[in-house]
Amino acid sequence: MSPLLMAALATLGIPAGLTLLFGVLPMLRRTGKPAAILSILGATSVLGIAGWLFATWLGNPTEVIQQSTAWLVQAGRPLGEVGVRLDGISVSMLLVVAVVAWCVQVFSLGYLSDEPPNGLGRYFTYQSLFLFSMNLLVLAPDLMQLFIGWELVGATSYLLIGFWYPKPAAAKAAIKAFVVTKFADSGLILGLLVLAAQTGSFAWDAPLGTGVAEVVAGLLFVAVMGKSAQFPLHIWLPDAMQGPTPVSALLHAATMVAAGVYLIVRADPIFAAATHVREFMTQLGAFTALFAAIVATVQTDIKKVLAYSTCSQLGYMISGLGAGSLLGGYFHLTTHAFFKALLFLAAGAVIHAVHSNEFEDMGGLWKKLKFVAIAFVFGSLSLAGVPGLAGFYSKDLILEAVHESGDHFALAALLLTAGLTAFYMTRAVVKTFLGQMSHAAEHAHGPGPSMSLPLLVLLVPTIALGWAAQPFATLFGKPYEFHMGTVGYAAIGLGLGGIALGYLVYGVGALGFLPRLFAPLGKLARSSLMDELWQSVYEIGGQTPSRAAAWIDRYVVDGLMNFLGWLTIVAGQQLRKLQTGDVQDYLYAVFGAAALLALFGGWR
Amino acid sequence: MSLADLQPLMLGLIVACAALLLLLVDLLLKPSARPTLGWLTFAILTGTLAASWLLPLDGEVQAGVWQGSLWTTFLARLMLGAAALAVLGGLDYVARAWPYRQGEYYTLLLFSLAGMVLLPGCRELAAFVVCFELMGIPLYVLAAFGKNENGRKPAEAGMKLLLIGAASTAITFFGAALLVGLAGSSRFVELVPYEPGPLHGVAALLLLAGMAFKIGVAPFHMWVPDTYEGAPTPVVAFLSVAPKVAGFAAFASVFLVATPTLASTWRPMLWLLVVITMVIGNLVAIPQKNLKRLMAFSGVAQVGYILLGFLGGVEFGAAMMLFYLAAYLFANVGMFLVAHAIAEAGEGEDIVHLNGLARRSPWLALALLMFLLSLAGIPFVAGFWAKFYVFTAAWRAGHGEMVLLGALFATVALFYYLGVARAAFVNKSERSGPVPVKRPLALAIVVCLLGTVGLGAWPNPLVEAALAAVQGLY
Repeated sequence: MSPLLMAALATLGIPAGLTLLFGVLPMLRRTGKPAAILSILGATSVLGIAGWLFATWLGNPTEVIQQSTAWLVQAGRPLGEVGVRLDGISVSMLLVVAVVAWCVQVFSLGYLSDEPPNGLGRYFTYQSLFLFSMNLLVLAPDLMQLFIGWELVGATSYLLIGFWYPKPAAAKAAIKAFVVTKFADSGLILGLLVLAAQTGSFAWDAPLGTGVAEVVAGLLFVAVMGKSAQFPLHIWLPDAMQGPTPVSALLHAATMVAAGVYLIVRADPIFAAATHVREFMTQLGAFTALFAAIVATVQTDIKKVLAYSTCSQLGYMISGLGAGSLLGGYFHLTTHAFFKALLFLAAGAVIHAVHSNEFEDMGGLWKKLKFVAIAFVFGSLSLAGVPGLAGFYSKDLILEAVHESGDHFALAALLLTAGLTAFYMTRAVVKTFLGQMSHAAEHAHGPGPSMSLPLLVLLVPTIALGWAAQPFATLFGKPYEFHMGTVGYAAIGLGLGGIALGYLVYGVGALGFLPRLFAPLGKLARSSLMDELWQSVYEIGGQTPSRAAAWIDRYVVDGLMNFLGWLTIVAGQQLRKLQTGDVQDYLYAVFGAAALLALFGGWR
Repeated sequence: MSLADLQPLMLGLIVACAALLLLLVDLLLKPSARPTLGWLTFAILTGTLAASWLLPLDGEVQAGVWQGSLWTTFLARLMLGAAALAVLGGLDYVARAWPYRQGEYYTLLLFSLAGMVLLPGCRELAAFVVCFELMGIPLYVLAAFGKNENGRKPAEAGMKLLLIGAASTAITFFGAALLVGLAGSSRFVELVPYEPGPLHGVAALLLLAGMAFKIGVAPFHMWVPDTYEGAPTPVVAFLSVAPKVAGFAAFASVFLVATPTLASTWRPMLWLLVVITMVIGNLVAIPQKNLKRLMAFSGVAQVGYILLGFLGGVEFGAAMMLFYLAAYLFANVGMFLVAHAIAEAGEGEDIVHLNGLARRSPWLALALLMFLLSLAGIPFVAGFWAKFYVFTAAWRAGHGEMVLLGALFATVALFYYLGVARAAFVNKSERSGPVPVKRPLALAIVVCLLGTVGLGAWPNPLVEAALAAVQGLY
């Protein structure tokens, strides 16, 4: 086996081994800090390996190494392939996951310093499990293994959202996230079944007819809508902010929610053939981007702003992929992973300092948390698409692609979103770091080194990754040439305009009618209209048949089953009497049966 | 004939020589040193098992009287493994219960094993019969080895096994004699003409009856529960698996190799026996209170499933039968060893004695649960694939009705298997503190657990090995 493959297997084996270790050795897990250090060491080695793999692939971008073996062979046909596939896409994604996971684990050490050792150990067990699951997904050689990883990250998401499960809101949010994404995942299962029935395998590059490709892609996209929080299945993501903030950074901003985008990139041969699904993706993505951006402008909770922003940016990626720009969607995934993780971690540092998520407990924090403020501002600028920063380049690719696809509605929505994004991020910056200091903010304390270091690490790609678009594109096997078009200038203008407007409204206090204009919108956003809609859909569509089925189950099926069970037991008791214990009887049985058999043999 | 010609028989010869060696060593050892006999036996068994990969074991002996192939090696490995696990699990018990008879115990076990290991390769009736009895006779003694312990039950166990065994042997020999008399030869290949007469049918079904006894097919199963209940548990761990493996190998030899032209005669009867076996085994297991008795009926039911593989066509079905046997080996030996551990702790052998096990010894309870799940055929432990494969084989051979029946009775089986699990996991007990388990016994249980879980997670290699092994049957 080549050293590259060994390295790839190690990125799976190390976190899996740690999870098992923590799982079977409660003593170790309950030590807390040592377990955390062990987990971070594991993440560090994964980071080193991922970096080495990435460097190797930069030198030889088109190489593909795949090693897999048939898994669960049933009567000659395997259920799927398990193994690893190393190519430009998986290797770069592996690095993204490794970097963010490392940062988040280190950050968590400071963020969760008040956690009892038992809880800390549990937290890092989940973190290691997540790292393994995500790597399993990223390195999957076929959709079967991807599905396994997909479900595993879903399970870790559930565990981590509900990490503070004694808090009812956290427990509820965890269940909601699980149920919503599971509902969407039924699309993935159905899609895989159709794919396997048509091609006999779970490979994503098997040739499919157009009709089949539309069906499979459509079903897969349902799962993507759940995982990547697209309207109307986005409802779980804002609630998921009940989890610890580093978790939000890792799972619910940078990596897990991007798994949907990654799935589309991986299954590109299927999606490429499905034109209708792609058109739908462009429009739904654009709509989600706009919708979530609007909702983000009225949130009073810093994490909720970032959560809706994540929905919005995922909408960007989906829209770009729908418009046919694999590179755009994927590059935005990458830059977004870094700057959004940075934003979340910086927000985490703020929350850690003031012990609240609400803007009203912040304000004026610039004086107390200078470095955090710098990090947050750079993250915001990158997200707002200020030229020169990473977010600008990736967003520009998507806008160009949507522009070329000729979908005017989507383009307009995305451009408007660009302006709104700049606006709500400016609002967040102003409300957090400028203006009047709140009572809580006066007692704020700066972050420790374990929280500052990850911010510093994430700052680098947040600023500079855009300049590396060229080598990134070669890794992807696509040509890339930066040029500024009309759309680009429009985006810059809208972005800068949004920043200016945001500062005017919230910093200077001018144009007071604007927030008032948004007020009813805020009410609407907080009224959880979507939740209630889903609730009634569920009650009418889901519960009515369930009740009918329950009735039949209770009175018809159970009755029959109870009767059969009774019959079985009575039969057993009666047959038992044959077993007399007398050896004479046994011998009668033996000779009698043998004689009957012999008779039959002669008769034939 | 030179000694080199005996090369294919090597595994059986090693085991037989080891048995003789053990008798000698036993004479020379001081009484206090006798526990080493158990370790010596274990070492010999694992060594022989390892040798099965190192020695060339293919080829004919005496111009086809005995034929060594992947088939015989595969089966020998199963038997050696079962014996090694049973010896390891019973080490402490044997040393404590019968300090002066350890040598006899292991010698008898090895002689029986030698018969088993040699049985699958026999292609001639005289050799076949000798191996068959070499396997059987020491088992009668082993079953009664506890003599007067446990209210004379071991004596009864041995006696019943002997009497019914003798009757079955008589039936088997009668069938064999008829065939030899008709054919004028005892070679399997010459035994049955292309167009057999009625007497051939009589003979084949007498053979079927005789061998049905060995593997415990209903209605020839009556000795099974009494013997399992009475015999010492480590003996039962061995008795419930290794002779069955050999019995199925003998089945394959006689019916697939020697009398394939009689298939239209024995197949319907085998079908009937499978149905009866599944019904009796599963239904009578339900009211059982004694764990070993329950396992006896469960064993009868399992035989029904294994025979499904046999019904399911020659090559694929026989291969899946091999896989089933391997899965059955780990789960069944494991179950008896757990039962042994509980009994050793002074608790008793009833299901109620498992109460509260999960709280007292979580690992032991977990192992028990895995074995139960495997026997019940729940994904993803070994037993699931075993059932799945034999069902596939039966389905392919057009026995859809048997798949249905098997699935139905798998549900019934769930009832009594989970009843045992409920005792361990739900019921409360007055006793507290972990169940003490001796090291070798724990090691044997761990190996069974690993086998059960490992085969469940990754069945492919063994499936492929089984498919390859079947090629050696002819």
